[in-house]
Amino acid sequence: MEFKDNIPIYLQIEQYLYREIAMGKLKAGEKIPSVRKLALELTVNVNTVQRALQQMNNQGILYTKRGEGNFVTEDTELLAQTKKTLIDDELESFVQNMTRLGLKENELISALEDYLRGRDK
Amino acid sequence: MKDILIIKDLNYKKNQKTILNDVNLNLSSGKIVALLGENGAGKTTLMRLIAGVAKNYKGSIQVDGFINEAQRKAKLSFTDGLTGFSDSSKLKEIEKFYATIFDDFDENEFEEIRKFMKLDLEMKLSQLSRGMREKLIIALTFARKADLYLLDEPFGGIDAMARKKIINSIILWKDEKSTILISDHFVNEIAALLDEVVIVKDNTVLEHKSADDIRQTHKSIEEYYESFYEDEDDE
Repeated sequence: MEFKDNIPIYLQIEQYLYREIAMGKLKAGEKIPSVRKLALELTVNVNTVQRALQQMNNQGILYTKRGEGNFVTEDTELLAQTKKTLIDDELESFVQNMTRLGLKENELISALEDYLRGRDK
Repeated sequence: MKDILIIKDLNYKKNQKTILNDVNLNLSSGKIVALLGENGAGKTTLMRLIAGVAKNYKGSIQVDGFINEAQRKAKLSFTDGLTGFSDSSKLKEIEKFYATIFDDFDENEFEEIRKFMKLDLEMKLSQLSRGMREKLIIALTFARKADLYLLDEPFGGIDAMARKKIINSIILWKDEKSTILISDHFVNEIAALLDEVVIVKDNTVLEHKSADDIRQTHKSIEEYYESFYEDEDDE
């Protein structure tokens, strides 16, 4: 995995794990890989992974079982909320990019519909 | 967190020429730190001074509380380019030498890293490529159980695969409490690995910053490093 070097890496690891959870690659109640394994997989420092996991523990999306590691929360409401935040973030950047290209907000939906129709053909 | 390395007012001259001037630097335990600077900036000298290989300096260098050179040497692991060995030395002879000299040399760990690096014990030093030589240095350095590891330009002139192996071995074998100082004049290849960055320029340590603090200002480590050299292009 390639990280941007001008954004703190631990924030990017958080984003990466949030996505894995939202996409269902890591499921509710599932144990996530060990810190060292994640560090190796992402080619980053163990400390950086630890910092990301610590934050996610604080946010409640992960929880730690002593001596066993980190697990994804089973709180379905929090999981749904997390997914919605990710979707909203994507939509926000879509809206911003389109507005920059000169589209008005009330033109967005029809532009998207046209595109999807065209693409399906 | 305690400081594993404390350098105070370090001055070093060689043949009446100032190599390092008023160096002050503290490193805390558990970190991966890059020592960045151009060739000739004094990075290797600084490492050799910390390691107790270079002598006759002014000021003080403490490793885990020890100022005395012999005690310092026991606390840190530094492989000085394998300069003491002849080209016909076999890897197994070098390993044996290390195991004899250093009490904290763990032969099982050496064996693990050696296998990971795919190094052949029957080979001679002269048969090693640049990348293999660096891998051997890393294996020997990490096989010791030290609090401070000094890696002097481990990525100089090696290919991407060897680099990846060395980086992975750092992730795999670095102890939680130990600190690694890696010198380089090119930061991109290790940027994602770093906790902190130390800039050596104008014969001294100019700055010491955490990687996250640099990135928090939306600068990459490379941009930060290059910013120290910007003015010079205009001259």
